[in-house]
Amino acid sequence: MTEKSTRRRFIEGSCRLLGLVTLGGAAGVLTERTSANAVYQVDPNKCKSCDLCRTSCVLSLSAVKAVNDFEKCGYCMLCPAYMDVTSKPDEKGIPMGKVCPQDALKRRVVGRVDPDDPNNNYYEYIVDETRCDGCGKCVKACLPPAGNGSLRLEIRYNRCVECNECAIRIVCPDNAIVRLPVPGVAPPSTHTS
Amino acid sequence: MIAGVSRGLESVPARTRYLCLILVLVAAFASSIVSAQYQKKPPDFGGSYSFPSPTHPEPRTAWIRTLDVSLLAAGLGIGAWLILKKRSRNGLLLLNIGAIAYFGFYRKGCICPIGAIQNVTLALVDSHYMISLGVIAFFFLPLVAALLVGRVFCGGVCPLGAVQDIVLLRPIKVPETLDRALAWLRYVYLGLALWFAGWGLHLAIGSWKLDIGRRFLICEWDPFIGIFRVSGPFHMLAIGAAFIIGGMFVGRPYCRWLCPYGGLLSILSRVSWKNVVITPDKELDCGLCANSCPYGAIHQLRADRASCLSCARCYASCPREFEHHGRQAAAAPLIQVQRR
Repeated sequence: MTEKSTRRRFIEGSCRLLGLVTLGGAAGVLTERTSANAVYQVDPNKCKSCDLCRTSCVLSLSAVKAVNDFEKCGYCMLCPAYMDVTSKPDEKGIPMGKVCPQDALKRRVVGRVDPDDPNNNYYEYIVDETRCDGCGKCVKACLPPAGNGSLRLEIRYNRCVECNECAIRIVCPDNAIVRLPVPGVAPPSTHTS
Repeated sequence: MIAGVSRGLESVPARTRYLCLILVLVAAFASSIVSAQYQKKPPDFGGSYSFPSPTHPEPRTAWIRTLDVSLLAAGLGIGAWLILKKRSRNGLLLLNIGAIAYFGFYRKGCICPIGAIQNVTLALVDSHYMISLGVIAFFFLPLVAALLVGRVFCGGVCPLGAVQDIVLLRPIKVPETLDRALAWLRYVYLGLALWFAGWGLHLAIGSWKLDIGRRFLICEWDPFIGIFRVSGPFHMLAIGAAFIIGGMFVGRPYCRWLCPYGGLLSILSRVSWKNVVITPDKELDCGLCANSCPYGAIHQLRADRASCLSCARCYASCPREFEHHGRQAAAAPLIQVQRR
């Protein structure tokens, strides 16, 4: 081996070592800063249900779903998020159209049932997640004063693939997609009736 | 505390003591009414109904979160072994298909080291930004691998590279000067991506204003992501299709001239510890490999570490490979010439 190639190898080796140390140091600094895994979640207080959650998620059926907060829900018969109150009413005066284009918001009568007067009954509203595409129409309709604000959009952790940058976060006009440390508890909604 | 108060009250005359007690009781009753007004109670449903427990699914468990990182590390290790030790093009093809299947179609091209450049930049600029450990690992593992074994990530694990590698049909030779000039585009793109990820664009000239906040350019303009997701805006799908069709005749155009992460790997792999050596043992300088590289990475009959994408195509053109591994070389008849 000539002297030149020995020197070259020495320089290369030093550069390599320097590179490894730099990379390790940078990774260490960053790891120190995060110290935890993080998840994406919708901040319900910033979210305006603009429909971009439906179209922008990398999944063909968005990981964002409408979620009903049962503690807040009024269990109303005339739910503004369930039935389209502007649609044509039937002979009993109940609107026939539904708000959800996917028919993903389901309801069932609960508690003591009065068979004669449907207005006297309570209804439980549950989102069918296999159909919900996160368009947020029901969330908008449930906002006070029409509703209780019990429906909200939420990133479902069991569906979210955790991209290194959330595709919805990039386009969200209200900066409503936030980073939360794991375990990620969604911030509570402050919408009150 | 209450015991202390009642003991203190014993010194007070009996009538005053009763008055105090009544006052305390009234105050307690009034406050309970006030709080009852503000307490939200569920309606009385009658019958036996209980709330469905709110279904908030847990984030993915730790071991699933580390699965991506482990697969990346395993892919890099297997890739290095296949390229440098086993010298197997077929094995590498299998690894490529696996990468397209998992990192491409299953993970939808996301999480990826190329995009992680922007996360890392943002995390360094903005201390409030939470970067996940997975993204950090994805950014640094291939860089470390490049220092040790060259651009194994490009050749083995990157789904974007694998897609272009697989569609390559009939590579045309790009003039070397043009190739080198175009390679500078990577660094222009890298600079733009860093700027937009960390700071965004805010311009104001007179009344004319341009306000583009922080954007992840690399993710937004990734030509292959639309293919992996089988959806996307029309212009992105069109760009993806153009790269695929162009990639049939020009070897891996995105990797060579546009990929910002490829640019980083290219710098680091210049001093890599191991790298692709076309001959299995001693170098012959026979020149039979000169035209075997579809990516223009063979300069002066050696694989150039900075631009070699570790695809293992050149091995088959080496006459020594035939002797060593019993494989049919592209120029098998010429081996006889070498022997004479």
